[in-house]
Amino acid sequence: MQIFVSAAGELSIYRQIMRQITEAIAGGRLKSGDRLPSHRDLAEQLVIAPLTVKKAYDELEAEGFIETQRGRGTFVSAQLPEPDPDANREHLKAAARNLLSQTYLAGLGMKEAIAALREAEQEMAQGRRVREAVSAKKEKP
Amino acid sequence: MTPVLEFKDIARAYRKGETVLDGVSFQMREGEVVGLLGRNGAGKTTLIRIAMGMLQPQRGEVLVFGLSPMLDPVEVKRRIGYVSEDQALPPRSTVAELIAFHRKLFATWDASLEKQLLDRFGLRPADKIHQLSKGQARQVALLCAICHRPELLILDEPAGGLYPAARREFLEASIQLLNREGSAILFSSHHMGDVERLGGRVILLDKGKVLLDRELDSLHEKFCVALAPAASAQSGSMERMPGCLRTRLVGEDVHAVFEGEPAQVAARLSEHFGAEEFRCSRVPLEDLFVELVGGSLHA
Repeated sequence: MQIFVSAAGELSIYRQIMRQITEAIAGGRLKSGDRLPSHRDLAEQLVIAPLTVKKAYDELEAEGFIETQRGRGTFVSAQLPEPDPDANREHLKAAARNLLSQTYLAGLGMKEAIAALREAEQEMAQGRRVREAVSAKKEKP
Repeated sequence: MTPVLEFKDIARAYRKGETVLDGVSFQMREGEVVGLLGRNGAGKTTLIRIAMGMLQPQRGEVLVFGLSPMLDPVEVKRRIGYVSEDQALPPRSTVAELIAFHRKLFATWDASLEKQLLDRFGLRPADKIHQLSKGQARQVALLCAICHRPELLILDEPAGGLYPAARREFLEASIQLLNREGSAILFSSHHMGDVERLGGRVILLDKGKVLLDRELDSLHEKFCVALAPAASAQSGSMERMPGCLRTRLVGEDVHAVFEGEPAQVAARLSEHFGAEEFRCSRVPLEDLFVELVGGSLHA
């Protein structure tokens, strides 16, 4: 899988790594037993400090998403954590707070934030339809 | 354990009584990465020169590996690597001669690292220093500074004046060094992207003092910027509130940096100033930096 980090991001770099790995697991691009690059290799690839990657890996391991097998490497956990509805609600609330902060900072209000959410929803649905159409075409012949 | 580097209440003024540093104290542990930030003239280079024993503080004490860089310069320099933006290399010598000179100085010189870096940077040993580009010259300086495997690497604006590709290569080599050796690194920079990539701890110098000393990750997560119309929020009284680091006037608004969750800070501000609406938001590091060292209300 490909990981991107941005130094100008809203999230700190270790959080960006954590998010991309958990999203890849949730989206099925990373599966149980898949091997992750070592924290040193990933650090050199992303040109960031090795300790930053290690911090992301340590937290992912503590949350049960990945496991380190001594001498063998780091892998996506065989037993992935059950989604925790409370934690998910908290995440969603945090994302909403972030969206609202951005909205207020831009001098806009709740109405514009909701409109932006709707617009993003439509764009994503559009993207999904395109992808489905493409894969349907591939399956036909 | 003895700290790798320790500043104790360092003060230094230049001619005309212009104070540059006014009581700077902090310690660096083994293997720690510390980014020294601050606007131009904040005293970053002065502090680094004091650590290198190139300048004497007028007050306070600096210890490197528990030793004085002034009284024990050889032992200290044996264990330090140093690259600065305005470092002068001898223009007439060749890359090979300059490297040979450093190799003889250091018993711990790593010839395989030397070769690896020469290849990686694509440096030609026969080239004279004055024929090199700015980026190549900086690469030679870095090579000479790290091949003896220093326990502490000091970089003063290491990527300053380099174009983006050269800056990236310089960062890559520094990160490889972190990976291989676990050296402690003290670096000064204007460039937030570099600071985020090197990670570690951020020390912000302002008006000769340490304004902020935090882990980079906690900066991202623990601070927010509050916006309020200047007419309704008295900046002075805002700056005295607990958790407020700095306020500044931007047009008709006051921008204030607070420690805390945006929602909680907004609630505290509303309580303090009455029903007024306060907008609080987390901001990228670059913006936080501008808020912290940008033009102040009380300059």
